[in-house]
Amino acid sequence: MEVTITQTEQSMTAKLVGRLDTPSSQEVSQKLEPLMENADKELILDCTEMSYISSSGLRILLTLRKQAAAKGGKVVILNINDEIRQVFMMTGFLNLFEIKNA
Amino acid sequence: MIEISNLRLVFPDGTDLFRGMNLSIQKGEVISIIGPSGSGKSTLLRCINALENPTQGQIFINGKDILDRKANKPAMRRKIGMVFQQFRMFHNLDVLGNVTIGLIRLLDMTPADAEKKAMEYLRMVGLSGKQHAMSSQLSGGEKQRVEIARCLAMEPEVILFDEPTSALDQMMETEVIRVIQDLAKQGMTMVIVTHALEFARSVSTRVLFMNDGVITEDGTPDQIFEHPKHTLTRLFIRDRMSLIWKVNNKDYDLYKINAEIEFYCKKHDFGKKYFTLELITEELLTHFLPFTGPINFRIFVDESKQLAVEVEQENYDQPIIDSPTADEISLMILQGLCRTLTETQEGNNRLISLVVGDPNE
Repeated sequence: MEVTITQTEQSMTAKLVGRLDTPSSQEVSQKLEPLMENADKELILDCTEMSYISSSGLRILLTLRKQAAAKGGKVVILNINDEIRQVFMMTGFLNLFEIKNA
Repeated sequence: MIEISNLRLVFPDGTDLFRGMNLSIQKGEVISIIGPSGSGKSTLLRCINALENPTQGQIFINGKDILDRKANKPAMRRKIGMVFQQFRMFHNLDVLGNVTIGLIRLLDMTPADAEKKAMEYLRMVGLSGKQHAMSSQLSGGEKQRVEIARCLAMEPEVILFDEPTSALDQMMETEVIRVIQDLAKQGMTMVIVTHALEFARSVSTRVLFMNDGVITEDGTPDQIFEHPKHTLTRLFIRDRMSLIWKVNNKDYDLYKINAEIEFYCKKHDFGKKYFTLELITEELLTHFLPFTGPINFRIFVDESKQLAVEVEQENYDQPIIDSPTADEISLMILQGLCRTLTETQEGNNRLISLVVGDPNE
């Protein structure tokens, strides 16, 4: 999975492209470390081009949310596709995150 | 138009095929013959084309027995076109030459007339721009379409297809299937031996199931595919329409498994169901299955037309999904994706059955 990180003063955005599954989860976790370190800011996950997520991917989002909650920041998820939205719904993630669709 | 009566073919090794078979093929029928390898399907086509010498019986083509020693076999064969699995193009001739050769040599047409007619049929199979290409410049699908054009140009009354797509990859298979579907729409009488069951189901007016040298079931595609009378037919169709794979240990290749799931869903037109199937597979492999032995996966459409997954963990007798250590998020995903989720003990093995729902929803 491709992860591209951009930053402003108030927020940090990670654009996730491809599949967030078990084989990619460790690498994605490492690539998202800058977000973990800046968990006091608004952390934006741009999922416009994310095609798939499994529980391994959800766990990464959960860790990010915990960090943000502990440091006073928040996680915003942008543009999830219908299939991923369903996964969020069945696991309760829809209520855990602020989700914005363009 | 074709009447097969009391047909039997005994080979020197004792193989006894057809054992008194009777079969009637009417004009305009598109008949697919399906069944396990070695059941005699291709040999039956070869009998109809007088390429075999049956031990007993008669095969009437428009009232004339092609097996009769006095029959004018070459003349009768011209009424029957045959397309084989392997392409039989003449390598020293271009596409046009391959189609015209039979017209000039067997039907005594002038080269100009033969070319005119050949072009007509090359257009029909979508090869009108390739008339001067040599065999080496053509894909497998194009070669097979040349074969069909060559066959059509002889204006046969019936065409026999012997596994016409089995040597082709999926894209080329689609090209050839479209041509055969067009011929079916035009009312061409065809008998097709095939392993491509979706194709047989979509193109045929009638399907024959052959096993061990005899036709054990004969009916409409709906009767054969939806309500087969015999267990053997049902099992054959079920296995052929399923995606089956085995995982032996934790070094499995998830990319390869996902590619196969995606291919299966595309082939069966299951839309975006691959997402659900890939997710179920990944969650089971990474969070539930204990790998105590080989794991057998099967994706199929069950008797209620629901997309279903069966997973058998060999050598295990404890609950897998209901295990107290089951991962909570994974469990929510599995329960959310499946209409029903059951687990049973089958001898030494643990069987998990998941019903996903309508494959086209």
